[in-house]
Formats: sequence, structure tokens, C-alpha cells
Amino acid sequence: MLTNGDRNGPDVRLDGVHLNLIGEAGEVNILRGIDLRIDGGETVAVAGPSGSGKTSMLMVIAGLETPTSGVVETVGVDLGRLNEDQLAIFRRRHIGIVFQDFHLVPTMTAVENVALPLEFAGSGEAFGRARQELAAVGLGHRLGHYPGQLSGGEQQRVAMARAFVAEPTILLADEPTGNLDGATGRAVLDVLFAVHKRLNTTLILVTHQPEVADRCARVVHLTDGRIAGDRQRRSRP
Amino acid sequence: MTGIELAFRLARRELRAGLKGFRVLIACLTLGVAAIAGVGSLSEAVLAGLKADARMLLGGDIALHLHNRSATGKEKAYLRERAAAVSHAVEMRAMAYPLAGQGQRTLVELKGVDEAYPLAGSVLLRPPLSLAEALARDGQSWGAAVDANLLAKLALRLGDEVRVGDARLVLRATIAAEPDRIAGVFSLGPRILVGADALAATGLLLPGSQSHHYSRVRLAPGENAGAWIEDLNRAFPRAGWRIRGVDDAAPGVRRFIERMTLFLTFVGLTALLVGGIGIGNAVKSYLDGKTATIATLKCLGAPAQLVVGIYQLQILAMSLAGIGLGLVLGAGAPALGLWLAAAQLPVTPRIGLYPGALAVAAGFGVLTAFAFALWPLGRARETPATSLFRDLVAPAQIRPRFAVMAATAAAILALTALTVLTATDRAFAYWFVGGTIATMLVLRGGAALLTVAAARWAHRGGAVMRLVLTNIHRPGTPAPSLVLSIGTGLAVLVAVALIEANLNRLIGDRLPATAPAFFFIDIQPHQVPAFDRAVTSVAGTSGFKRVPSLRGRVVGIAGVAVEEAEIAAHAQWAVRGDRALTYAARPPRESLIVEGEWWPADYSGPPLISLDAGIAGGFGVGIGDRLTLNVLGREIEASIANLREIDWRSPRFDFAIIFAPGTLEQAPQTHIATVESPPEAEEAVEKAVADKFSNISIVRVREVLQTAARLLAGIGAAVRAAAAFTLLSGALVLGGIAAAGRRRRVHDAVICKVLGATRRQLLKAYVLEYGLVGLATGLIAVTVGTAIAWAVVVHAMRTEWIFLPAVAAAAATGAIAVTMIAGFAGTWRVLGEKAARHLRNE
Repeated sequence: MLTNGDRNGPDVRLDGVHLNLIGEAGEVNILRGIDLRIDGGETVAVAGPSGSGKTSMLMVIAGLETPTSGVVETVGVDLGRLNEDQLAIFRRRHIGIVFQDFHLVPTMTAVENVALPLEFAGSGEAFGRARQELAAVGLGHRLGHYPGQLSGGEQQRVAMARAFVAEPTILLADEPTGNLDGATGRAVLDVLFAVHKRLNTTLILVTHQPEVADRCARVVHLTDGRIAGDRQRRSRP
Repeated sequence: MTGIELAFRLARRELRAGLKGFRVLIACLTLGVAAIAGVGSLSEAVLAGLKADARMLLGGDIALHLHNRSATGKEKAYLRERAAAVSHAVEMRAMAYPLAGQGQRTLVELKGVDEAYPLAGSVLLRPPLSLAEALARDGQSWGAAVDANLLAKLALRLGDEVRVGDARLVLRATIAAEPDRIAGVFSLGPRILVGADALAATGLLLPGSQSHHYSRVRLAPGENAGAWIEDLNRAFPRAGWRIRGVDDAAPGVRRFIERMTLFLTFVGLTALLVGGIGIGNAVKSYLDGKTATIATLKCLGAPAQLVVGIYQLQILAMSLAGIGLGLVLGAGAPALGLWLAAAQLPVTPRIGLYPGALAVAAGFGVLTAFAFALWPLGRARETPATSLFRDLVAPAQIRPRFAVMAATAAAILALTALTVLTATDRAFAYWFVGGTIATMLVLRGGAALLTVAAARWAHRGGAVMRLVLTNIHRPGTPAPSLVLSIGTGLAVLVAVALIEANLNRLIGDRLPATAPAFFFIDIQPHQVPAFDRAVTSVAGTSGFKRVPSLRGRVVGIAGVAVEEAEIAAHAQWAVRGDRALTYAARPPRESLIVEGEWWPADYSGPPLISLDAGIAGGFGVGIGDRLTLNVLGREIEASIANLREIDWRSPRFDFAIIFAPGTLEQAPQTHIATVESPPEAEEAVEKAVADKFSNISIVRVREVLQTAARLLAGIGAAVRAAAAFTLLSGALVLGGIAAAGRRRRVHDAVICKVLGATRRQLLKAYVLEYGLVGLATGLIAVTVGTAIAWAVVVHAMRTEWIFLPAVAAAAATGAIAVTMIAGFAGTWRVLGEKAARHLRNE
């Protein structure tokens, strides 16, 4: 199967990735030749100023954005060879994503939101697993609540539970604490790193907060669509 | 700067963003207003045409109409003396036989005119002969001008000859225009126009023959028609003619047009009301999109009144744009009608601007916009900035303040009042208003049931089913609007289709099954024995029935002259001119005696009559009371012996007034007859009569019913086209809903894709959602439409009801198709949306 993946090599390999998008003001070069390798189980912070291409790089890794040129291999799968539906199935198996804006389905309860990825994959235990994950993030008592009835921190924890529930190989987080206050943000990060440890998930998180980047073993710095710095830190999750 | 000025300025600034949020609002108003303005303008244009052509249609300034007798010498002398010009004409039915033909014949509408004819307008002939040239006598033959379809029917050419009665007619020209004949009006056969002498030569004009005698009068310049008619009535109070002036030139056509206008206006109004749902949705969704702006304005210190003012002004401006566009389109309807359907219109419409019709349409447009837009506006006013942000998920139970609710109620009341006041038939208008409210309530109730059911099952199915069901029951769900808008249009269409199908069945199947095959008219008394033998000797015939027929007029009711008697509206027809009379020894089989006794078969005594029970009620008379009848100039006073219940819808002939034997036997009369016959024997029956009795008119019922069916098909097409407007309006609303919900759908689709949903799974969800809503809408609309059709068929038309599942099934399928197509039009692109664009924060 094209979408099965292989964890013998690096989890993420970007070779000469360019991404140009057509905007209202004309063509914009978002990514200008990214070369990057991330091994399984690493924790990587992607930092950089606004507009430097952090989120776009995340989208490329998840197969949500197709690069203009270059090769993207995630979990050993060349994403350029997959069509849209194969990409969806690939994500289902290997990728979990957490957004700054949570992006929960507003008409579904917390447990229904979390169960979705497993349901799409046809799993019979979707709801049992969803309840477990919600309990793990401390929301065992909020299963039947709609997103509109939850606080921002609770919504983000639902979004994380949804990202973990299928036990992804790679967890992508786009400014996961950007909309949260300091204490709530720290609690959310604690959960994120705990899961990384439990599942040996590769964690790639976009942030422009130094204290968040500090919790990762490696910090990749993007400026103007290029990697301006890539340094290993001592891991202290 | 005053509040209103500031509101104006801010509204103008907001509108810089373009009309995007207002397209559906404008389209809904344009469509509804255009429909009403169009129907109104076309109707006024036709009525104006009728008025402008009135002298021509009437054939002069005043027309006098007599049944079965011509004006007397004294009457004619009076007319000659008192009018600037007089023209006499006679119309009757007759059979035409080609002179060189082998057994061909056809029923024709024969018209004999004098030399003064026509007093107004002119007869156009092809080739372009003068009327005198065309009708002139040439040796043995009289000239005639004919409808072109007579030539086709009898395979004749100009110059060929036909025999009508005892006269030979040479066909010299076809008639391109006959001024006093209204196009498209029901006729039993093609016209043959001859001179008065030729008509006399046919020998068909016998005492008692079924004939219509017209005397048309041109008045001297400056003469007052009303005064002239009064003088005439004083001079001949008992002449019994029906008198029409130019303001009453074609009352039947006028009634028909008014009826059609009313009906089509109501259909247009339904389209507008359906559009109202679209207007409400558009305003709501526009204001939803402005949530952040409204919240910001409020945070910056804008008072609620100013915020409402800003949006009220924008909505008002857009509504006026929609209404204006609708008026422009509607005003063009007369020209469009002339271009598309000149041949089907009874008169040439007068192209022009009809401010009355446009004002009514504009009034409906403004009131509809008010009725549907005020509520969401009022809610926006009351909504605190903080709760605006969560409105969709947990809608704050906010109601507009009392003034807004009262204004909405006032707009609805005004809409009802305008509907009733502008209708030519108040009772019909009340039924329409009641029916509309009931229909909308049932549809809204059905939608509520659907969402409740969806909520109940929403958390039981898989992800796809849950997406479907939560979309149907979630807060702010479009399902009720969908059911209401598509459902109303569809209910109208189902009702129209079922009524038409029922009428078609009646005319196409049921009447031919129960109606006789032939009507025979103008059987002379001396022909009776031979005629009876000729018809009944044809193998296969059955149910032969023949009765004498005379014309008479009710002139007195229980000793009071008709002009002074109080007569209920439903019985007025019975005193409007001559009515058919007969006499019989035994009661007719078809009608039921409900009061009194039938006379003995050998009765001979003072005049007795049997009267229709409905007329008796309308006259306020009963058994033993007396009616005075004028039969061919002779007044007869007769006692009512019994009352009968008559089924006037039956295709068999019956008489409102039947005399006992001993009174009318000696009066000039003819007989009429009917007979049933299998289709294969019809030719033999017709031949048997035509070969021996050239004066007897033979009406083939099958052909008449076919003509009626063709007329009905034309009317049905017009009504269906109008009803389609309602559905189109519903589709617009649906398109608006789909467009308004697009952002939410894109969001849902993107999240699902990120979580691993395939396009197939999303497609399945959409198909299921729209399919379910469409199916529910179809079922409710079919139920409501069927109920309306049943009520109309059984209670208004008083005929037998048949449910036609094929029509209902087609409608339900149509609902699902329309819902899916219109739903997909707004949603299809969602499937192909790139997720990344919607997920970035940068």
C-alpha cells in the first residue's frame, strides 16, 4: 500500500521544497528551498517571524499542501505520488494535527469530535477510545458537551485528544497555545509532551514563543521561507 | 451630524463591499414582483385592448340579442328610426355538405349578415375581396366566406361549392378577420359567412329553430347610449333582448381574464412569499456575516438604534433595487405576451405602462420585504456584542422588542389586506390567505418533526450519518427554510398538476364514458317519426332520448315583475335572457323530485311546471307559487307543481323548467335528441341522419370534448408556468441557503479531510443530507398539495376525485432532485477545496 509508511528512515524528509502560492497581489514565494530531516521520536520546534512559512511547512509535511517543486517524504511515503483520497487515508494512519483555532466541528459533542478519525477509518472502537483519550486529557466529565459550551483550554484539549486518538506517527501542532493564557497553555503543552513520550510520536510544533520552543530537543528557525538555523538542544520535556 | 445622516454614511461605506450578500434578496424580490407585475400588466393590457376594440367586438355602439326569433317589423322600424345605422345578423349551427363530396359533412357556425354589416371594423378576406363581392349571388349559388379550417376539414378549395340546408354556397374567400368574433373562444365548428338572402335560402330558419338574432346599432354622434337603451326598454318592455353597450362588449372574456388574473396573481404572490423566506435568510446571513462589525461598532459606542439604522438602510436600498427590477421586468410583460402568444390572446393587448398593476406589485414587494426582514434586524438590535460570537452553537433565545414584533405583524396583516382588497373575488382571496397560512404551518410543523427526529437519531449512527443528522438538527439548521421554501412551491405545483389531471380524466375518460355520442339539434316536429327510426335503426345505438325544446323567459315571480323581484345571486342566471324549456308527461330519469308530486301522464288542465330546486330557493318560491313565462311573445302563468334536484355537471341534457302537457304543444318548437353509440358506429349514425335531414345539426360529443381538452391544456400550461415560478423562487432560496452555509460546510469538510475523510465519504454525507431533506419535503408537499387539489376538485368543482400516484411520485422525485441540484450547486466546490488555505493562521 502506498500509504502504509516505513519508519526505518527519517520520519520527515524535505528535499529542495519550494512552495509558491498565487495571491491577490500576484505570486508569493512561501517556501524557497527547504531541506530538512526529522527522525522518529524527535521533538522539533519550528520558530520564526510571522509570514516566514512555518505553517506552510507543516501543511506540506501533512500532505495538505502540494509543493511547487521538491520531494516530501513523510514516514517513508513520497507524498507527491498520492492523490487526494490516498492523502486523506495516509493522514488517518500517520498524522495528528492540533491547530491554534482548535477547528472542532461545532455541531458535534466532544466525544463525537474525538471519535471522528477512527470512524472515518472504520474502527469499531471509536467511541471507547475517544472516551479514554478525553479522560486522559482531563475531560472525562465533558464528553457530551458541544464546543460552544467549552472554554478555550478545554476546546484545545478536545482537539489534542482528537489528534492522538488514532495514535499517529507524527503529531503536528500549529501554535497550539497561541489562543490560550499562560497557565492553560502550559497545561496543554504538558499533555502534548506526555503523549509524545507515551507513544514515541514525532512531535513537530510551530511556535513563536521561546518558552515553548525551549521544551523541544531541536529548534528549526525559518526566515523568509528558508531555514536560517537548526540547532539541537538538550531535551527537557 | 444627525443619527440618520451618520447611518446613511456608514451604510454607504458598508455597501462599498458590493452586492454579494444581497444577491438572493434582490433575486427573490425581483422574481416575485415581476410575476405579479407581469400578470397584472398583461391583464390590464388585454382589458385595455378589449376596451379599445369594444365597438368592433360589439359590432356597433349597442348590440341587441334575441334567441330563436328575429326582431319584429315594429321593432326593426323603431331601430331604423332611432339609430344612425342598423345591421341585422343571424347566427346558428348547421351542417355543410360538399356538393361534389362523397358523404363528407361537418357541423358549421353559420352567420347571415345584411348589407350594412359590419357597422364597426371590417371583415378581412383572402383573396382581398370586398364582403359584398364575396357574398354576391351568382346564378344558382350564393357566395360565402369561410374559416380556412373548413377547407381543410372537407378537403375543399376556394371556388368549390357546399350545400347548407337548401342553399348552394360557393366558397369565394377565407376569413382573415371577423371584427365581432373573439379569437380563441370555444366554437363547435368553422364559420360560414353568408348574406341574409342566402341564409333565408337555406330554409333552416324555421319557427323554433335554435338561432341567435343580433341587431347592432350605430348611434348618432353625441347620442347617449344609456338614455337610448332606456327609451328602447320603455318602447318594448317585453321584447326580451339582451342589450349590451360598449362597456360590456365581451362580458364572458372579461370574466375569464379577471378570473385567470386573480388565480395567476395568487400564484405570483405565493412565489413572492416563498421568496420572503429567502429574504429573511439573506438578511439573517448578511447580519451573521457582520457580527464582528456590529460587535465592534457597539464596543466603540454606537447605540443600538444607529446599528439597526445602518443595516436597515442597506436592506431597504437593496429591497427597492429588487422591487424596481421586478417592476421593469413585469412592465414588459404585455409586449412579451404579444410577442409569444398573440394568437392565443382573445384581443390584441395594448402595449403601455399600467401604473395600477405596478403599484399593486410594488406594494406586495415592500410588504413582503418588511414582513420577512424586520425580525432578523430586530434580533441584531437586541443581541449583546458578547453573545453574537456564540449565536450559532447555542443561540441566545433573543426575541426582537415588542415594537418590531408588532411591525412584523402589521406587515403581515397589511399583506393580507392588500391580497383581499385587490382581489376581484373576495371569497377566493380569503380561501387563498387561509390556505397559504395552513400550508406554511403544516410545512413548518413537518420541518420541526424532521429536526426533532434527526436530533433523536443523530448520535447513534456512524460518522457520515452523524454529519448528516447533526446538519439537519443543529442550531441554525437550514432544514426548516428548505422544507418551507421548496415545499410551498412544490405543494402548489402538485395541487395544480392533480387538479389538471383530474379535469383531464373527467374530459378524457369519464365524460366520454358517460356522455352520449351525439347531440342532434333543430329536429322539426314533422321529422320526428322518421328521425327516431333513422337513429334507432343503426346497430349499436342505445339510450336514445328526444325532447321538444323551446325558449322562454321568466318575466314574473309570484306575481312580481322580474325587474322588481329579489333574486339570490346564484339564481340570477335563470332570469338573464331566454332559457330552454320543454314539456313532458313523465319525469326525466336523471333528476330527483325533492318536493311536490309529478303530474299524471294524461294531465290536461291549467299550466303546471316542474322547477329546479336551486332556482326555486333563489327565487324564494315553493310549491303552488306561480311563475310567469314569456314564450315567443306569449305570456303564460304556471303553478309550480314540484321541485327537482338537477345535476348540472352531468353531460346529459336537463331543463330547469319543464311544463306539464297541454300548454306548449302548439307553440313553434324543435326537438333535440341524444344517442349513445360505440365509436365504430358513429359514422353510420351521422350518415343516417345527414342523408335524410340536411337541416338537423349533428354535434359529435367526442370532438367537442377534444376541443375542450385542447382549451384546458392551454390554460393548464399557463397555470403550470406560473406555478413553476414558485418552485424557481424556492430554488433561489435553497441556493441562497447553500451559499450562506458554504463557509460552515467548507470548514466542516476541511476538518473531516484533515482527520482522514475521503471525498467519497463527504459526498455520501451530502447526498444523504439533501436526499433526506428533499424526501421529507416531497412527502409533506405531496400531502399538502393533494389536500388542496382534493378540496378544489370535490368542494369547488364538485366532481369526482381520483388520486393519481404517478403525479405525486413525480413531484416527490422532483423535490429530491431540485433539493439535491440546488444544494450541490452551492456545495460541490467544497469537496475540491484545498484544506491548507483554511487552516493557516498567518
